[in-house]
Amino acid sequence: MWNFILRNIGQRLILLIIVSFVAHSFIHLAPGEPSEVDPMNPRMKPEDIAKIRAAFHLDDPLHVQYAYWIRDLASGELKSFKDSQPVLPKIWDRFLNSLPLFILATILVWTWAFPAGIYGAVFRGGVYDRGTVFLSYALISVPGFFLSYLAILWVVGWFGVPVISIKTFGLEHAEPAYKMMDRVWHLVIPSVMAAIGGIAVLSRYVRSQMLEVLSQDYVRTARAKGLDEDTVIYGHALGNALLPFVTMFGLLLPGLIGGSVIFEQIFAWPGLGRLAYEAILARDFPIIMTLNFIAAVLTLAGTLLSDILYAVVDPRIRLH
Amino acid sequence: MSVDSEAMAPPETPWQEFLRIFKKDYQALFGFWVLILLLVTAVAGKAFTEWWVLFDPEVVRLTDKFLPPFSVPSLDSLSVDRPFGGVYLMGTDELGRDVFARMFQGSFVSLSIGFVAVGISLGIGILLGGVAGFYGHVKLGFITIETLIMRFTDAMMCFPTFFLILTAVALLPPSIYTIMIIIGLFSWMGTARFVRAEFLSIREQDYVIAAKALGIPEVRIIFRHMVPNALAPVFVSATIGVASAILTESGLSFLGFGVPPPDATWGNILSDGKGFIFDAPWLFFIPGMAIFVVVLAFNLVGEGLREALNPKLRSR
Amino acid sequence: MIVKRLLLFIPLVLVLLLLQSFFWVPTYENQAAGNPNRLVTYIEASSGDAKILNPILNADSASSGIVNQVFEGLLDLDENLDLRGRLATDWQIFERAYLVVNPYHRFPDGTEVTGARLFQKIHAAWKTGTDEGLKNYVQSLELLPAIQREETVSLLLPSKEGRPQLKDVRVTVDVLERVAFTLSQVDQDLFDRLKPILGEQYFEHFPYEEMIRPQEDLTKEIEQALREKFPEILPVGEHNPTIVLHLREGVTFQDGHEFDAGDVKFTYEAIMNPKNLSPRTPDFEPIKTVEIVDKYTVKIIYKRLYSPAINAWTMGILPEHLLNDVALTREKQERGLSEDAQESFGMRDSQFNRHPIGSGRFQFVEWQGDEFIHLERFDTYWEGPAQYQDYFMRIIPELFTQEVEFRTGAIDFYGAQPHQVDRYKNDSTYQWFSSLGFAYTYIGYNNRKPLFADADIRKALGMAINVDEIIQYLMYEEGERTTGPYPKNTEWYDPSIQPLPYDPQEAQVIFHDAGWHKNEDGWLEKDGKIFQFNLITNNGNPIRKNLMIIAQNAWKKIGVKVNTQVFEWAVFLGDFVNTGDFDAVVLGWSMGIDPDLYQIWHSSQAGPQQLNFMGYTSQRADELIVRIRQEYNRDRQRQLTHELHRLIHEDQPYTFLYAPLSTRVLDKKIVLVQAGADGKEEYKKIYPMKSGDHTFLFHQWRKLEFTPDF
Repeated sequence: MWNFILRNIGQRLILLIIVSFVAHSFIHLAPGEPSEVDPMNPRMKPEDIAKIRAAFHLDDPLHVQYAYWIRDLASGELKSFKDSQPVLPKIWDRFLNSLPLFILATILVWTWAFPAGIYGAVFRGGVYDRGTVFLSYALISVPGFFLSYLAILWVVGWFGVPVISIKTFGLEHAEPAYKMMDRVWHLVIPSVMAAIGGIAVLSRYVRSQMLEVLSQDYVRTARAKGLDEDTVIYGHALGNALLPFVTMFGLLLPGLIGGSVIFEQIFAWPGLGRLAYEAILARDFPIIMTLNFIAAVLTLAGTLLSDILYAVVDPRIRLH
Repeated sequence: MSVDSEAMAPPETPWQEFLRIFKKDYQALFGFWVLILLLVTAVAGKAFTEWWVLFDPEVVRLTDKFLPPFSVPSLDSLSVDRPFGGVYLMGTDELGRDVFARMFQGSFVSLSIGFVAVGISLGIGILLGGVAGFYGHVKLGFITIETLIMRFTDAMMCFPTFFLILTAVALLPPSIYTIMIIIGLFSWMGTARFVRAEFLSIREQDYVIAAKALGIPEVRIIFRHMVPNALAPVFVSATIGVASAILTESGLSFLGFGVPPPDATWGNILSDGKGFIFDAPWLFFIPGMAIFVVVLAFNLVGEGLREALNPKLRSR
Repeated sequence: MIVKRLLLFIPLVLVLLLLQSFFWVPTYENQAAGNPNRLVTYIEASSGDAKILNPILNADSASSGIVNQVFEGLLDLDENLDLRGRLATDWQIFERAYLVVNPYHRFPDGTEVTGARLFQKIHAAWKTGTDEGLKNYVQSLELLPAIQREETVSLLLPSKEGRPQLKDVRVTVDVLERVAFTLSQVDQDLFDRLKPILGEQYFEHFPYEEMIRPQEDLTKEIEQALREKFPEILPVGEHNPTIVLHLREGVTFQDGHEFDAGDVKFTYEAIMNPKNLSPRTPDFEPIKTVEIVDKYTVKIIYKRLYSPAINAWTMGILPEHLLNDVALTREKQERGLSEDAQESFGMRDSQFNRHPIGSGRFQFVEWQGDEFIHLERFDTYWEGPAQYQDYFMRIIPELFTQEVEFRTGAIDFYGAQPHQVDRYKNDSTYQWFSSLGFAYTYIGYNNRKPLFADADIRKALGMAINVDEIIQYLMYEEGERTTGPYPKNTEWYDPSIQPLPYDPQEAQVIFHDAGWHKNEDGWLEKDGKIFQFNLITNNGNPIRKNLMIIAQNAWKKIGVKVNTQVFEWAVFLGDFVNTGDFDAVVLGWSMGIDPDLYQIWHSSQAGPQQLNFMGYTSQRADELIVRIRQEYNRDRQRQLTHELHRLIHEDQPYTFLYAPLSTRVLDKKIVLVQAGADGKEEYKKIYPMKSGDHTFLFHQWRKLEFTPDF
């Protein structure tokens, strides 16, 4: 077991270094310059631009720039090109903003996808099943921003209630309960928008897992014993059908970064996705690189976690 | 169908069985006909907007801007600039261009983005999945090929795909080819996994073992015997892949990194239209609904295929 | 079955929990009605966040919007776009000039040039000569002894990889005897006036090599670069325009510290400190020294003639006590940075840039990244407090959501697009102001390409585009035709110049005369080649994209084949504009208030990475541009700019399209609040100034509870 984990961590570390170096080279070699090197400022002289480039180490060879980046990241003193603020606290702030959205969207996905999928499987071919199949495909077939625009138009137009940003403006002096509920309300629509795709996909997955389990021999045996249908489905089949999903917890991790650029953009949500998007536009290399790195770490940690969980819940798998 | 008649019926070929199941699935059938219609539209769109220009999507008529659907052109517009049939079926946009002509042209472009991107992702997916499945146990140093490929696939699979695509598209020079290639490059992971799983099981099947025993070259075994048998799930994921490529393109358009003009795609008509939602709602709703219907059709067909091709579910 | 029930129960309860929050949120109507503070709060929407709140470091529009409220400059522009004192009360401009002895030169009468003789001759010409300029402007003369000084010169070396490299070289400079002039006003022709006495060649053949000696051995390449800098290091005749500014007494920063001359000098030094990488360096680089005369007087001496230089002092002044070495050292120690980081720590890294303190009308309260920036009124502002108590900038990236928030009253201002403005014009709850800014939009042709080398062809291309129709339909009248490189609302613009007519027939005739004939496909052809080029623009600007398509369509009609492409800004600049590798672009310039066009139009600025990327060259235009930037007299400047404007209009290196109007839509309840004669408040409708600016009296704005009747 420990051997397995250690070897996996080793493999992933190597992969991480390769991935980050490739990403670093790609980002630096792609056309475009950091927006601080502002050649459209009519007064900027070539001398000034050369100075800025030197300060950002942009003229050094790629591997040297990579070394600078690793060194600064390790010491926690990596600075954004854009405003010279330390990168890590900046990312942490945005992470805290994104977190509630992510958590709520995930909870919505998991609490809704399971009942939807299970009932679909239980009443396979029925009206309910066909209806949910159609509905879930309909929901993932709408472009996300199209649906969000419609939702905003509807909620603002009919109810006259603010939905943009993470809280209502000018509510600083309200009671704490109101302030909290206000924040919850602002979470609702963006997280529902972000969850829709997940619900549709996951419920299809749950449904097919459930169908597979229901066709197994032991379910037939249970039925033959004369157990009532509910006991068969919820007592015997469900647990086995759910096993594979435990492993998916690990795979959720990377979704923390850049899961919802479009929704953050529309709902003016100051989250990580937007930070990344703005950084790409401004060619703010330290931010892009660090977010990329964190995404890679989360990804690799997530797959590791899911491998381990898989091994733990499914005794048929041997770690070797 | 009763048990008796099934027993007495002549044995069905898998293809007949597939057709029987697929035909019973009204949703999939509906999707299928929509797709046929779409294909015809796309080809006709290419033909009538570029080869024989009946509908010119590029004519700018500023005096006719923001006319709602089914309007007739104003008298000022020159006779050469009049739309075919003398009516704007889907209205005009902010430059007075005929939205119908643009949607017509866009149908081909949008569809070809979907197909090319999926083609690329299938190519990579089948290659990597096949290699991992067939040559899986060959060792490269301390690590097997299979581990190497599947680790890489897992890692790619878990990255936030849209974000990766966005980064790549934003950093590279924009063109329709960049977008096709990037979408293809970042969406092969599912295919690779399916193909590997299929190959692993097919490899142990009797006919493959027999073929090996007969000394048939490996390449021939792979392409003649194994690939065709592994294609079913690939086909399903390709159908759904086209749908998601069209959606991805519209998402990129929304963020301003879609296909640059002069190519019109449904995605960029939609994202241009979002600025005029209060002035000219049809610019937003027509492409939005078109994308919705087409993507839905692809998804439903994909689901129908999955149901019809999945032997386990059939056996019940 | 408990599991079954839970499966149904949990999602339903969750959804109910979420939805009930709806009842706790105030509707838009309640927000305004039950909240008197809303009337004294100004909220504007910005699509991007500010980057850095420091007047010497910021370069983006969101930051400068905030910085302009928090900081204040020595001067600003008044309602007529003239300079007006803010932190400075008044100022004088005069000149010191120096003429160095050229030892290898002989006077016209054959005598050798020595300090004493030079002085004597000039003195005689001043006192008894016929040159009026010399007599009127020169106030005193002085002979300065020879000195030796050392300095560091920054050289830009072309490298083989294409990126120029910087190299610093120490040099020793022998300055021979000099005659120093004091002039009552700046006179760019001073040395020309002296030429009859000195000889025409006096300023040539100066033995720089003997006077300027590098302190180390240099490679050939560096030596060459240094040689090019000689006239800058030791000018034979040197103009030193000088500004003396008297500062306002008793002004304090928002932390209570008093403002004085030290802050002005500090701000200048901070800009010039290479560690700070200030984008303002080019504006302040012509300054030789900033001297503190007394606590409330500073004297600024410039190295050379550069009349727009004074405009730079409209930039906000930094508080020295919060940013000087002592303060920065304290900050970096408190933050416990590593040694490397301490070494490189500079003003850019300071937390000041996120919690700025200035002396402007509003003081900083809070900044939530990508969410909002909150300012509040600075109550002890020297001119009296503003009407608004709070100032918010909310960051809302999408124009659609900005509009939704605006219509519901959750924001007071957003940058409405022309088609949106058109809707508000017919809505009685809003008032709107359209005013000319300093910007214009154009189609630029790469003048280096043979296709566009001929001014007539460029003119014909321009005549094929119906600009009036563009302004009417695309801009909804939110633009005015423009004919040249100056902002239309400045005096530098010559209103008598007529725009190109829309005349596609005439354009076709011009092409025909130039040898281009239509082939069977309808394209213009000459020597087997059709007239075809790429028109590009940057992404993210829908109006430019539309202009591009309109131009493509218009040109198609006269037989010119155009391919259009849109590139992301960074790529657009890096791969096309900076390398000069393009045919034509749709772009806009946002100009300053000054008439200096050197960077954009002078032929020396047409290299890679430079701003005359259209490659415009005209000897006469070069002369005019240089004279304009050296001229301190406004009337003469105006004559020169009108001539330059006409010249550029005739050459048509760009097709000048229009100057966009910046339009502001506001709730009608927002009015000007002024103190009436009887001490009571009087309400007035907000009105634009002569310059077109309607935010000039922003400090008097306030929102009323009722809609006033005007």
